[in-house]
Amino acid sequence: MSERAPPDDAATRAVERWMASGLWWGTWIGCAVVAVGLALPRGTPVVVAGVGLFIALPILRVGVMLVDFARRRDLRMAAVAALVLTIILAAIALNLRAG
Amino acid sequence: MTPQFGVYLFAMSVVASAMGGTLGMAGGIFVVPMLTASGVGIRTAVGASIVSVIACSCGSASPFLRRRLTNTRLAIVLELATTLGALSGVFLADRLPTSALYVLFAGILLLSAQQMMARRKAPSDAGAVAGADADAGADAGGWGATFGLHASYPDPATGVEIPYTVHRVPLAMTLMYGAGLVSALLGIGSGVLKIPAMDTALRLPLKVSSATSNFMIGVTAAASAGAYFVRGDIVPAIAGPVVLGSVVGAILGARILVAVSSARIRVAFVVVLVLLAAQMSLQGFGVHLFGGHA
Repeated sequence: MSERAPPDDAATRAVERWMASGLWWGTWIGCAVVAVGLALPRGTPVVVAGVGLFIALPILRVGVMLVDFARRRDLRMAAVAALVLTIILAAIALNLRAG
Repeated sequence: MTPQFGVYLFAMSVVASAMGGTLGMAGGIFVVPMLTASGVGIRTAVGASIVSVIACSCGSASPFLRRRLTNTRLAIVLELATTLGALSGVFLADRLPTSALYVLFAGILLLSAQQMMARRKAPSDAGAVAGADADAGADAGGWGATFGLHASYPDPATGVEIPYTVHRVPLAMTLMYGAGLVSALLGIGSGVLKIPAMDTALRLPLKVSSATSNFMIGVTAAASAGAYFVRGDIVPAIAGPVVLGSVVGAILGARILVAVSSARIRVAFVVVLVLLAAQMSLQGFGVHLFGGHA
């Protein structure tokens, strides 16, 4: 296996800033959705949507990393990100069937 | 569930998460015992806590990313192990008796207390800088080089770039598998198992270690939370107030962490951890001090 220099370029930083904003806003939107759901008389589906948003945030983050690695032809890291995404989705799919 | 109980869960989660945040930990380790002490069953508590762990991880990841303290490449490699561990934990959770979960949680609380008393050393801060050249040869053919995991971070005080190398990734991944498994079983961030992996195996600088560990917690927890979510094991009426309270508590805890000297707080929280461990052990053996299950 060949040695790879640590990439720390402007593109990497831009993606990290993008992820930082996404996670930050996603957290506050999720909090707002849950709060609205709790305040409504029959707001349980809204709370469920807020919880679903929180769970989706890190999964989307792995998706963003996968696309970024693939775009830069960093195939080794793209494969790692794809495998992580597959494991998460497998955990959900297997329990969806079990449920 | 009454609105009053929802307000109580919110307030309790603020306190629990603030306690975790004050110590630089995820709040789950306080949230779950406090929920079970309030009469919530441990499986429901785990489901609510794991969502709050995601919320706190996502919310606090942003400043670390902006300061370039998070090693995102290392995080995704280690997440291979943590998500596999979480997958195993989800399947094991159904097969373990409830009493075993209480006893395992008590063990993790005691381990956390012991770690807190020992204080975290920073061998990697010195090692990463002074030993970087010497270590480069030893790790040249390792996973760190193969996946381009060696990196640098800007010193927050001076802005000077500090390079570091990443060591023994396979050993760290073994520990991370255990961290993912425990996280899924108990609804916690598993910092107690990640810290030895980050410090002893990978030998990361403390700031990078904390930022990268926090970044990974969300993905690890999402694997198990997603599974619990589709199974209907996450109760919205419990998870909603717990998530909101945990986010507020994490913000408060981070401010307290900056403002207050940690030495005295540490001793107080070690006592709290030991008491919570005793409570969880008793519950494991069927003794409920604070009422029955919800």
